[in-house]
Amino acid sequence: MALLEMRGLTKIYDQGKIEVPALRGIDLTVEKGEFTTIFGPSGSGKTTLLNLIGCLDRPTAGTIIFDGQELGGLDKKDLAIIRRHHVGFVFQSYNLIPVLTAYENVEFAIRLVNKYEKKEIRDRVMRILAAVGLAGLENRKPNELSGGQKQRVAIARALVKEPKLVLADEPSANLDSKTSEEVLQVMAKMNRELGTTFIFSTHDPLVMEYARRLIEIRDGQVAKDQRRE
Amino acid sequence: MLFLTRLAFKNLARHRNRTVITSIIIAFAVLSYILYDSLIGGMIEMSYATIIDYETGHLQVMTREYWEKETEEKELPLEHLFTLDEELEREIQEVEGFLAAAPELNFQARLGNGVDELPVIGKGIDPEAFGRVFALEDRFVEGSMFAPGENRAVLGKRLADLMDLAVGDYITLLVKDKDGSYNTIDAEIAGLVHTSNPNVNQNIVYLPLDIVEQGLNTPGEVSKVIIRLENKDLASKLAGELGGQLQGSAGNLAVYPWDEMEAVTFIGAAEIEKQLIFAIILLIGAIAVINTVILAALERMGEIGMMKALGLQNKEVVYAFVLESTGIGMIGGILGVLMGVGGVWPMVKYGVDFAGLVSMDLASFGLPILGRLYGVWNPAGFAWVFLFVVIVSSLSSILPAYWAANKDPVKTIYHR
Repeated sequence: MALLEMRGLTKIYDQGKIEVPALRGIDLTVEKGEFTTIFGPSGSGKTTLLNLIGCLDRPTAGTIIFDGQELGGLDKKDLAIIRRHHVGFVFQSYNLIPVLTAYENVEFAIRLVNKYEKKEIRDRVMRILAAVGLAGLENRKPNELSGGQKQRVAIARALVKEPKLVLADEPSANLDSKTSEEVLQVMAKMNRELGTTFIFSTHDPLVMEYARRLIEIRDGQVAKDQRRE
Repeated sequence: MLFLTRLAFKNLARHRNRTVITSIIIAFAVLSYILYDSLIGGMIEMSYATIIDYETGHLQVMTREYWEKETEEKELPLEHLFTLDEELEREIQEVEGFLAAAPELNFQARLGNGVDELPVIGKGIDPEAFGRVFALEDRFVEGSMFAPGENRAVLGKRLADLMDLAVGDYITLLVKDKDGSYNTIDAEIAGLVHTSNPNVNQNIVYLPLDIVEQGLNTPGEVSKVIIRLENKDLASKLAGELGGQLQGSAGNLAVYPWDEMEAVTFIGAAEIEKQLIFAIILLIGAIAVINTVILAALERMGEIGMMKALGLQNKEVVYAFVLESTGIGMIGGILGVLMGVGGVWPMVKYGVDFAGLVSMDLASFGLPILGRLYGVWNPAGFAWVFLFVVIVSSLSSILPAYWAANKDPVKTIYHR
């Protein structure tokens, strides 16, 4: 069953007098539960594609259907609501809030969903922190955590609300290979256990190893789309 | 929202130095206002006392025509006088909180010392009654008050200095009597006074009422009766009550409270000045907060982008920033109020010797300060300035917060 359907997706950046095409008519379908990696050289359009899928940006042309809903007609507020409930993000630079503890950073995301009781929020946060290997570290602030631990907090934050889709932009870029592997294992486990759809954008061969579908983007177009068993 | 509230208050501790510096700027702005308010309040109280004690009393009874001529045309007309009979005296004495009453016969004159002449206001007074209404008795720097029937005068030390006069010297007042004929009143200077009221110091010559009546050809008539009450705050109410009574018994007489006198209206300027200082203080607070919010927003661009990626709407980002600024305003406000309490207390208890500080007679410059100026407590002022800095801190953060919240989330996440 398709979670995402993209048809003729085009994005052109207007830089003064010059128009820079980032995506040139992408057609893609992503099924629910996929563990997909988008790769390609710098400037190929990976991050732009991720931003469009994640409702952070709007395409210049083309359509995106997210879980049966066409995103084209939605305003900023509606897009924010979709992000709040159905999309989780993992960024290269973690983007944790420094004044909050690991627990509170994760709690922030689930609080926004506004549908759980206090006790359930606590249970879910503690469960997800344990699942990403941070049991016992919940009261630490980001500056008291290693890079890998910070990225695990970011993953927990993305997953705690049980979104339909997690988008991870270069999640291993700031991590050593051992930590990268640990983080990827966590995400693969979540994908298996929760059935959450993951889409990565990366240069990292290690991330590609974990992916069950590899999409190569070149010059704003899909150059290769390969599925693995 | 509760989580965002918690986050906003945690952010206060995040850039501790910046929060402290902004709060201190706000605190000093609040302190300045509180000290200024206390001093201006003290000065206004002193001005009221100066006007009441030396010039207006609490209530004045006079004919309506006299009031209009005096206030509108700056004249002291002799054709609108009245007689202070026993019945009127009794009615005045029955006023609630009555302390004393004194008649005055006022006139315009030219004061001569044999060489020079100066325009002055002459006041015919009953020295005994006058002493019960006004506080002039304590302000003699030389000589003393005259007795009824004596051809003697009292004037301000400053006026005496200007005319090169001293106690024992003779003066001549050139006047126009009730019939329009020119006349002179000669008197020996009995005493010189120096008060905090510049009008008394340099414009007024006091003479016995009976001597003035002869000189102006107005036997048994007075310009006004000045009344002293127990409480100045009751003046307006009692003026209405006595005025109502007099309308029945002495139709052309009216009663005016001290705060309707022209001299008092000048004090309103101090109030405007205070509002101006208030506006400047609020502007300082607003600039400090705007600067802080912009710096915080610039530093937290990535974080704002992440919050928007999590699904936060613009208004929620604005809420977090506004709340943070409100927190800064509250810290600054509380600090400023505490410092204000510490600053006002010695001003109320010990006062400030402004005249000593600048080594000059401030009363000569129209400032009603003789000796020390005491501050006053104004709890309402404390509450207002606190409330205002908190509100201004909140409001001034809205625009920069909207600026930050409106940034493209993609650009903020990737710091483009």
